[in-house]
Amino acid sequence: MGGPAYDCLTNPLGAVRFSFGNALSSGYDPASSVGKDWGVVDLFRHYFSDESAISQVPILDSSSIKWVQPKTLVRFRGMIQDMLGNEFYAGAYKDDSTWRTNKFSDISHFPEGASSEMQVWERRLLYCVPVPGQNQWTESSSNELKNRFLDLNGQNREKRPRVDEEMTDSMESNTLEAGIDGSPFKKMKAGEATSSASESLVPRTDVASQCSAFPPATSTDSLPCLVKVYDSPESELKLNDVVEFLGVLTFDQNAMMDVDSLDEFSEAESVQMPSGKVPRLHCLIHRKLETQHFLHGSSLLTEFKSPQIFKEIRESLMKYLTGILGNDHIAAQFVLLHLLSKVHGRVDNVAVGKLSLNLTHLNRESMSIFGTQLRDALKSLLPFTQSIPLTVEYLNTASLGPKKDYKINRLVPGALQIADGTHLILDETELQPGTLNSVGVENAKLLKNLLECQKVEYDFHYYKMEMTTDVQMLIFSEGKSNIMPADLVLPFQPSQVNSSEVITPETAEAWRCYLATCKSLSHSIGQELQQVVENDLVAVRQTDRSLGSQDLSRLLTLARMMSVSYGETTLTLEHWQMVLELERLRKERLK
Amino acid sequence: MASDSPPGNTNDGPSSPDENASSPIGNTYSSPAANRRRRRGRSSSPTQFATPPPPSRLGASNSTPPTSRPSAARSNGRNGRGGGPATPSYTDDIPPSSGGEDDGADDTTPTFVWGTNISVQDVKSAIEMFVKHFREAKENSEDLFREGKYMASIRKVIEIEGEWIDIDAFDVFDYDPDLYNKMVRYPLEVLAIFDIVLMDIVSTIDSLFEKHVQVRIFNLRTSTSMRNLNPSDIEKMISLKGMIIRSSSIIPEIREAVFRCLVCGYFSDPIIVDRGKISEPPTCLKQECLAKNSMTLVHNRCRFADKQIVRLQETPDEIPEGGTPHTVSLLLHDKLVDNGKPGDRIEVTGIYRAMTVRVGPAHRTVKSVFKTYIDCLHIKKASKTRMAAEDPMDVDNSLRRVDEDVELDEEKLRKFKELAKQPDIYEKLSRSLAPNIWELDDVKKGLLCQLFGGNALNLASGANFRGDINILLVGDPGTSKSQLLQYIHKLSPRGIYTSGRGSSAVGLTAYVAKDPETGETVLESGALVLSDRGICCIDEFDKMSDSARSMLHEVMEQQTVSIAKAGIIASLNARTSVLACANPSGSRYNPRLSVIENIHLPPTLLSRFDLIYLILDKPDEQTDRRLAKHIVALHFENAESAQEEALDITTLTTYVSYARKNIHPKLSDEAAEELTRGYVELRKAGKFAGSSKKVITATPRQIESLIRLSEALARMRFSEWVEKHDVDEAFRLLRVAMQQSATDHATGTIDMDLINTGVSASERMRRDIFVSSIRDISLEKLQIGGSSMRLSDLLEELKKHGGNINTEIHLHDVRKAVATLASEGFLVSEGDRIKRV
Repeated sequence: MGGPAYDCLTNPLGAVRFSFGNALSSGYDPASSVGKDWGVVDLFRHYFSDESAISQVPILDSSSIKWVQPKTLVRFRGMIQDMLGNEFYAGAYKDDSTWRTNKFSDISHFPEGASSEMQVWERRLLYCVPVPGQNQWTESSSNELKNRFLDLNGQNREKRPRVDEEMTDSMESNTLEAGIDGSPFKKMKAGEATSSASESLVPRTDVASQCSAFPPATSTDSLPCLVKVYDSPESELKLNDVVEFLGVLTFDQNAMMDVDSLDEFSEAESVQMPSGKVPRLHCLIHRKLETQHFLHGSSLLTEFKSPQIFKEIRESLMKYLTGILGNDHIAAQFVLLHLLSKVHGRVDNVAVGKLSLNLTHLNRESMSIFGTQLRDALKSLLPFTQSIPLTVEYLNTASLGPKKDYKINRLVPGALQIADGTHLILDETELQPGTLNSVGVENAKLLKNLLECQKVEYDFHYYKMEMTTDVQMLIFSEGKSNIMPADLVLPFQPSQVNSSEVITPETAEAWRCYLATCKSLSHSIGQELQQVVENDLVAVRQTDRSLGSQDLSRLLTLARMMSVSYGETTLTLEHWQMVLELERLRKERLK
Repeated sequence: MASDSPPGNTNDGPSSPDENASSPIGNTYSSPAANRRRRRGRSSSPTQFATPPPPSRLGASNSTPPTSRPSAARSNGRNGRGGGPATPSYTDDIPPSSGGEDDGADDTTPTFVWGTNISVQDVKSAIEMFVKHFREAKENSEDLFREGKYMASIRKVIEIEGEWIDIDAFDVFDYDPDLYNKMVRYPLEVLAIFDIVLMDIVSTIDSLFEKHVQVRIFNLRTSTSMRNLNPSDIEKMISLKGMIIRSSSIIPEIREAVFRCLVCGYFSDPIIVDRGKISEPPTCLKQECLAKNSMTLVHNRCRFADKQIVRLQETPDEIPEGGTPHTVSLLLHDKLVDNGKPGDRIEVTGIYRAMTVRVGPAHRTVKSVFKTYIDCLHIKKASKTRMAAEDPMDVDNSLRRVDEDVELDEEKLRKFKELAKQPDIYEKLSRSLAPNIWELDDVKKGLLCQLFGGNALNLASGANFRGDINILLVGDPGTSKSQLLQYIHKLSPRGIYTSGRGSSAVGLTAYVAKDPETGETVLESGALVLSDRGICCIDEFDKMSDSARSMLHEVMEQQTVSIAKAGIIASLNARTSVLACANPSGSRYNPRLSVIENIHLPPTLLSRFDLIYLILDKPDEQTDRRLAKHIVALHFENAESAQEEALDITTLTTYVSYARKNIHPKLSDEAAEELTRGYVELRKAGKFAGSSKKVITATPRQIESLIRLSEALARMRFSEWVEKHDVDEAFRLLRVAMQQSATDHATGTIDMDLINTGVSASERMRRDIFVSSIRDISLEKLQIGGSSMRLSDLLEELKKHGGNINTEIHLHDVRKAVATLASEGFLVSEGDRIKRV
């Protein structure tokens, strides 16, 4: 690309200024536009229109933060944990007679009075954290990327002094930079690349070893990020969304100077979030992440065309699950269907499509074998998994529900503030008789509400707000769990203990892909089958009066999962009958 | 004081000219725009100003028709006790030419508010006109020459030596929409002029009046949501609602400082805050001394003003899905300080400000990020009618949903009125209630009546009749009783949900406790007292201990809880509707026992329930089919479309609260007659031979229930009169509730085949048509005591005959209709055949 006089990757702000200048000359008036985009977002969107361009951008995490340069483009993948409201900033100001912009940057101060004309614009502040329970395999994709970036980084080493200069004198740099930087640096030899690479790779392995320790969810070095979002409609980004932000990384070098000017109410954010710990990211482009985005071999997706392939993968996955579950075929079936469940509609308090599973007849010993095996398997299959041990002590002490702390004006996360699509294992086998205190009761209530309605209550002190979630819950218990009334209760009957087989990365990848694809499939029903289903439901209810609407609803959910597990989007009679048969077998076990 | 104060300005009040510069946070500056405008001759100085909005918006807001004020806002003036807002007073900023003295010169050289074509003189005269001549519409007719509303309040302020005058923005708009728009758009300037005008008027009335009188505007026509505040609102007058989450301690803010020389003891003149700063004189000002660095601040001769910073957070109803609440800082001054405490819901009127923050105390540079806050002019607490409600003398007109201050804007009200006019509003409302629980239509209708409630009546003699409707649901397990309860509990703001098993008598009513610190005995309210003017939902009523249940007797009829123990004799209000649910005595309804035996609750308590619903789970293929259809639709169609057209929960709540608050229907003569007739009939039914113990007999309580029910029904239509059909429906509800249509009076048992719980009106109509057609056919085809006819033949006949039956006919429909006719003694059915008798 010889065209533009800037490099989007290493000098995004140059691109911003350049396009701002262009826009000005073509009649863009900062005074009348309320900070509306002047085309720079389109520019970046165009530049990063394909996946390969995006993968050039380094992902910001606790290890890469050490070598990523400020004022360069980075990606941050995380969950929106809190929204800190809007921030008004001097978006454009007149320096002598030309307009300059502060958009996408933290040029944090300018001489008072120097700007005779100044426009106040606004941006949204989002506090993002790495997705709780994110599994290791989702990160591994960044490895090769990192190496690729390290080359770039090496090239930029030359540039470092200039960057420092820039930081000390941001006003001056405005004019200087736009012309000089960019492509010339690309030609430089990456001499010091190796040294910086080794530097950054060492902590990387540390992270890996820490991640494998259980639980991986909130390791100490998880890196939060304060994302500043521009021109985005409010409805687009919601709490707990998993989003990838692509934007300019900055450090607010003035954060430390605030201390003396602190009032009781002045921006508490800057105090708790010194930019050394919480980097700022000025978002240019963002997109919601699906499981597919975490899979590196994205080409696999296209292979899922014929039902035959679905069937094959399903079979191999079923075999694997059956093996793990001690040859309990029925349990494997239900676990598979359970993994495919997701909330796809809500009517009042009913979350349609949820399918929580309760495997009973598990005691401590069998739990240590099968439970652990299954947990590890799920960790390698799903992007986000969490596990909660249900003990009296845990319930009494843990803070499950998120709480607003008005002293620091932040939402304090709880264990149940998790992203949609997270898998949650509740282990009740450890539960001993004991007394729950008020916290414990509150926590149990929260869990029950989550299980029944897929909603989590957030405590805002003066009132509570229910947030909808979509969590797949798997419960291990000895008898039927009464604290956690799951949709499906299945006595677990293993016949033998299999040592877990080794799976190749390719198979694992295929399974992950299979699960993600199946989950995203739409589903419908034909006219005739609808009649059949209705008749069957009526018949079922006529024979057993104790069945409520929930039980019938569950049958349909199962049917849907069964259908999509074969990669089909319409329910067939065959699958419906499979579900009825499966239910019959389950009922038999319950007796 | 400032040396260039224009004559007439006796301003030594708390709002010194430099008020504007004082920033809520130390080491900060008010925004450059605000700074500059403080300069003398601001009208012509080349300041940078918030861009004036295009004039087109002015036109747009002008076109909206003037609206009548909600009366609730009226009361506001009384309780607003705050004072001395941060109204910036520019008294010394106004060039002498614009002072009231020499108006003549103004005619030639008009002064403009900078950056606009708003003439200061025009605004001034407009304000003068408004203050002097505004009268409320209703006053006009009575005495035209009475003093204007605000002239009267000015006199009052002078009398009580007050410091402010509350001005209703609606009045301003009514009188002069243009002035209103200017005021909202350029509050700093217009309010300053407002203050000058007021001072002028005050000094003409009482030239010796010393205090500075300020305006406090409230009740703006549009209220912004915190979420929608954006840069274009800066320096505008806005009004928004929210909840206080934190308030700072009171900060004394220095206004004037006095310094003393440590060497010679010389006191300096008061030095006024300039741009949020006071500079200590470097040398003694006394010519003889001139000692360097000797000046020290004399605290007790300085003048301070109160300041408080309050953090306001959005109320839950304004937060969109998947968002967290926004917050905004408020800056309170003087009398407004401590006007609210955390947890209060308030509505503030103020000016939205953004200010820059200096990088450091010694730097001339400022940060690019602004701090925003609202400079408060007026605070209105969401009405505390709950306090009033506690007053026993209070007539029951401020009804239940007090904490939701039901202030509807015109448009919503119009929408509601339209809704109320719809013929099927009753059906629609009952559909909207717990839409995910299908069937149970009649139960929902009863619950709807409970939500709307009847009219409470307090007679002068001291007797009072409750308006609350109590409902008991008795039903088989798994008939979603608890779900209904939960739903109602969520819908009603003061709802309390308890489970009978875990409730003791004192837990429900009130108990006396000793305060551990003071040793005083205090009354602690129980669930029923807490749900005063709400709905108390009691689950598992049957599992409750008898003693606890007996406590309910008083509550449910007298609506009070009396306590007499430990030296406290008290009677607490518990004007609550009770919604209880219970299982039949044997867990499942036993058809061989009578209704009363099944419910198994003392008749004394039963008679206090207006409606007792028997919800019986009867195997019915049709219900099952509908259930199956419903679930299939839920799963395969768009979940939204599975719902019928219904009101969403917030609309429903506001609809109900509006009706409760504003509609007080009376019985029409016709309705009264119908009531009497129906009641007599009910009494007769109770006197059926040998039935004395088996059925619920009608008591005078029933007639009260019926009145309440029919009042509630009229309320749903926003009708001021209870019509005959309301009474009819009330009777129907009463009958349906007890399955009386299906009850065999002789034995008191229910004929299970006759139960039609949850059958919709249309379905009933259809069945009626069936019955009459079968009657016709059998009249035609069969002789009394003659030959019999097969049901399938009858079905064929019906299909041929059935011009007026437009739906499919099933055999079981025919069976049902035949059963009805059999119970009338018109037919006998023998297995598959029917015979006329």
